[in-house]
Amino acid sequence: MSEMALVQTIKVEKRYKRGKIPVPAVNGIDLRIKKGELVGIVGPSGSGKSTLLNLIGGLDRPNNGKVIVDGTDLSQLNDNQLADYRLRKIGFVFQFYNLISTLTALENVELPMNLARAPKSEQEERALKLLETVGLQERVDHMPDQMSGGEQQRVAVARALANNPPVILADEPTGDLDSKSAKSLMDLIKTLRNEKQVTFVLVTHDPIVVAECDRAYAIRDGKITHELSGEELEDAKLSDKYDRAAMDGIY
Amino acid sequence: MSSMSMAFRSLRRRKMRTVLTVSGIVVGVGMILVLLSLAAGTSVRTTGLLRNLTGAEITVVNSTRPSFGGGGGFGGGSGFGGGRGGGALGFQLLFGTGDPIGQSIANTIGNMSGVYGTSPQLTITGYVNNSTAFFYGVDPNTYSSVTNGINIVNGSMLSSSSESNQIVLESTFAANLNISVGSVVTAGPYANSTELANYTVVGMYSSGTNFGPQTRSAYILLSNAQSISNQTGKVTEIYVKANNPTDVSQITSSIDSSVSGVTAISSSNIANPASTLSNSLTTFFVVIGLVALLAGAFGVINTMMMSISERTREIGTLKAIGARSSQVVKIFLSEALLIGLIGAAVGVFVGILASFALPLFTGSVSASNFGGAGTLFSGGISPSLTLSNILLSLALGTLVGVLAGLYPAWRASRMNPVEALRHV
Repeated sequence: MSEMALVQTIKVEKRYKRGKIPVPAVNGIDLRIKKGELVGIVGPSGSGKSTLLNLIGGLDRPNNGKVIVDGTDLSQLNDNQLADYRLRKIGFVFQFYNLISTLTALENVELPMNLARAPKSEQEERALKLLETVGLQERVDHMPDQMSGGEQQRVAVARALANNPPVILADEPTGDLDSKSAKSLMDLIKTLRNEKQVTFVLVTHDPIVVAECDRAYAIRDGKITHELSGEELEDAKLSDKYDRAAMDGIY
Repeated sequence: MSSMSMAFRSLRRRKMRTVLTVSGIVVGVGMILVLLSLAAGTSVRTTGLLRNLTGAEITVVNSTRPSFGGGGGFGGGSGFGGGRGGGALGFQLLFGTGDPIGQSIANTIGNMSGVYGTSPQLTITGYVNNSTAFFYGVDPNTYSSVTNGINIVNGSMLSSSSESNQIVLESTFAANLNISVGSVVTAGPYANSTELANYTVVGMYSSGTNFGPQTRSAYILLSNAQSISNQTGKVTEIYVKANNPTDVSQITSSIDSSVSGVTAISSSNIANPASTLSNSLTTFFVVIGLVALLAGAFGVINTMMMSISERTREIGTLKAIGARSSQVVKIFLSEALLIGLIGAAVGVFVGILASFALPLFTGSVSASNFGGAGTLFSGGISPSLTLSNILLSLALGTLVGVLAGLYPAWRASRMNPVEALRHV
């Protein structure tokens, strides 16, 4: 092992039951992601990419194989430890932002620190700083329904960063945004990766997102079909290989 | 952001539903408080009624030739309520006054356990301004507290601090003799005798009836009664009051067994059924209140279940960002606790208002309809608010909120985050 992987899956499998028939969603995936990487997971709907993200994020447990993040084998954790793992090691960003609708932007960012029982003064100070980082210092006391989709997603990114996790997992983060907001969100993500060495794993089928990734895994039927390097992604922007490999069936 | 303020926010968000759910608890708690107050009021009245009926709880008399003196005797005249102060004077008219017993027995009994106090009385016959009368010689220091006293309608009761001869006359008797408060009358055991002495009329009392021998009576100091009848140190009745009405029968039998020459007569034979009645009324009332509260609890469960199903995605989010199951439980239990707390507080407020308002609507009705026996409810329903009942209602409402929130909160905490997040 030349370089320690921050996120690693080993022959990971997850089956769901649809009626009585078990349907494989993730069917033996091996991947390695290093600290500070910005990695895309692309593939058509139902390919298993969200399931893979949930397995890495400790929201779900695999039927077979292992997920190892930051040296921790998730299969060794009980439910409370898994919750703590999500609290401290992982930040989630969702397609529909999933802010708590009764809380202000500031309180939403404070929430994970609150769950981690951080000192109250520290919570507010850090939440304010994070909202400034994502460019929302003017929106601190706004409720989610008073903000645009792009703004809400930035609050969600700030919330994901609250407990300073090494990994941020985003499931279609630009799926509900217009292309301008999507572009600016990706700029923010790249800045965070560059300045804070945060590792991002993005599930997407948005070409704007894929184009900004260091590399990407293309998934179909629960298996990795291609691994696209940075150069390939650069090339793909100009060629139809990109369309066929990564965006197959969608664009 | 505490889970309590999160709970508050989400309750505020659905105002109408919160108000309706809280109302369920308000009704339950309010009802419990009113009913507990009613029960307490009834119990206070029942005990009061017993004291009224019997004056003292126990009357100790000479065992061979007992007296059934006034003041504390069982009521004659106009039903239950009317007998106070009148006593079974008919007995005395037939049998004369009873043989006396030693006044020191009062102290002996006073030292027995469970005894609140004793008051001696010497009942003699005599004359007031040449009209026959019964004299009750009493000790004003103990008489009122042990027997509930007499119903003074004018002037005052005898005073132990004044050395002069005082007399309190039955008001009808006084009216017939044309005597008013402040007048001086002659009184003594024998008519036209040199032993007649002057007494100042300090007050008048009502025996509760307009006819019969009860009207021809007067209260004088025990010392006066003893000296004019040459019975120093003697009394005809000793009234005994227990600390607790339930101890009456036990005290009665220990007087009978440990003090010779006397008989103790108690009202325990009616005290027990009366307190049983009051207890079962309390139980009945509380059961009604609990049923109302139970209905409120179902309201809370329903609201919480709705809230949880609406907020499924929020619960998924909370779990995804690292909330433990216990923290999810805490958030939703806080919400239920808040519903219970608000409901209980408002319910207690409503209950207090209702307790005050109730007698206004029922006051005049029952007193006349139930006649003499209606003394139990005379003056209508009169709730008695106690701090412990208020606290009990408050605690009960809050507890019901929390208990009703337990299952929904548990359900929320057990949600699979992946499925919850997929929920639209």
